[in-house]
Amino acid sequence: MTDAGSALAEDRSEEPAEPERKGKREIWIFYWLFGVFYTALSVGVCLLGRATPPPRPDVTELQAVAWFDKHQMGIQVGFVFLLVIAGGAAISNGIIGYFMKRMSSGKMLAYAYIAAMGVGAIPGFQVLLVCWLTATFRPDRDPDVMYLLYDLGMLSYNGSLGCFTAAYIVVAIAILYDKNRIFPKWFAYVTIWQVVTEVLASQMWLHHSGAFAWNGMITLYIALVVFGLWIVCFLALFRKAAAAETARTPALYELEGTR
Amino acid sequence: MQVLTEKEESSASGLRAQRAVLWSAPVLALVLLVLFVAFPGFFPPMSPDMSAAEVGAFYRDNTPLIRFSMVGFNLFGILIVPFFVLIMTQMQRMRSESHIYAFSYLTAVVAGATLFALSNIFFAVAAFRPDRGDELIQVLNDLAWIIFIAPIGMLVAQFALLAMAVYADDHRAPVFPRWVGHYAVLTALAMAPSAGAAVFRDGPLAWDGLVSFWLRNGAFALFVVVMFFVLRTALARQAEQEGVTP
Repeated sequence: MTDAGSALAEDRSEEPAEPERKGKREIWIFYWLFGVFYTALSVGVCLLGRATPPPRPDVTELQAVAWFDKHQMGIQVGFVFLLVIAGGAAISNGIIGYFMKRMSSGKMLAYAYIAAMGVGAIPGFQVLLVCWLTATFRPDRDPDVMYLLYDLGMLSYNGSLGCFTAAYIVVAIAILYDKNRIFPKWFAYVTIWQVVTEVLASQMWLHHSGAFAWNGMITLYIALVVFGLWIVCFLALFRKAAAAETARTPALYELEGTR
Repeated sequence: MQVLTEKEESSASGLRAQRAVLWSAPVLALVLLVLFVAFPGFFPPMSPDMSAAEVGAFYRDNTPLIRFSMVGFNLFGILIVPFFVLIMTQMQRMRSESHIYAFSYLTAVVAGATLFALSNIFFAVAAFRPDRGDELIQVLNDLAWIIFIAPIGMLVAQFALLAMAVYADDHRAPVFPRWVGHYAVLTALAMAPSAGAAVFRDGPLAWDGLVSFWLRNGAFALFVVVMFFVLRTALARQAEQEGVTP
């Protein structure tokens, strides 16, 4: 711990003694927001908007139009809802960044994570919502234009690889260098698998069908299994890390005058 | 000559920088207002019910003013970001267990501003070759309007995070008064319904409607004005606390 940290710890110990509670209220608020956001995201993307699992890349323009026609209501309800709650991504990234700041590997990597995910929020998510909502906004558009919006949405959403690759690499490095043991080392290796799936997914830009297409066994389903495993591990570790913080864990204040 | 210690000096120049960002806001607001008024499709806002031929004709008839306004927004729009980072800097002074609000606020500001930047690119591309074909001009115009009005989530998060930070702040000596929290929540609620602009083609929720256009943009502009005065007071108090003469 740095000098600033211990000085703050002393500072806080002078406050009237409160009953020690497990964890910090703010961290728990963010924990629940994270869980609620990802659940809502899954409902909006999978059940309503039908973006995951995705529609086929090997369709004609008329099939794309027919697909939009069939799912118009779901896309409109689901994606408008997602437009309103999309800011949950900022909060979810914030909490991961917070734990990274707690690591001895330093806050630089936390900022790198936040920055990479901040980039990812636009092409990796919001562009899909906007493209498909623009398609369903006027179903009587020229089929060629609908086809373009179909591809633009899908490839932006599934094919935005670098932002997340950068974010996952940074998380893995932060965990491996960390001496505070905020997250266990094995989680870094799980995270590296996320990077592998992103690299493999680059093939979706070249293939219209088969295992490497955007709906393929390798680019999509294996990636989904790895992501599912990652998020389950993460939520469990997150709970543990949040509970490990007591009200006495020094806050991440900067001292007066250093701001 | 007065000799300052290193700490006093950094605090004095830090405050001076914050004040520079604060006072650039009224100038910037004036520029953005001129650009807003100059766009021929804002008074009244273009209807989503315009046909492709009407949209094409609008871009062909008003090309110079559309270019002026959208290139201007492209050039000056993101200058609003330092103002919100100034709010974030003050959020970092607030008493909070984790500082997580300010930390997340930055992502919300950056992503929200990127969406605005994308929107004026779509407007300007439509005006770049207005004889491209009405169908294509219309889809560019739709994308521009929908990205401008509908993706409200990052702004909602931004106001919610500010509110949570204000509520968590020290009640005895708050950085921002408590009503700023309530006011931020109110602004978020006023702006949230405009997500409907991606679906509705008429009524108050359409992108030219009372709620999605006037209430949304009015609430945002008013928030910036109010925060200017709130920040001015907060900076004066910070100067006083740190013993820096303004």
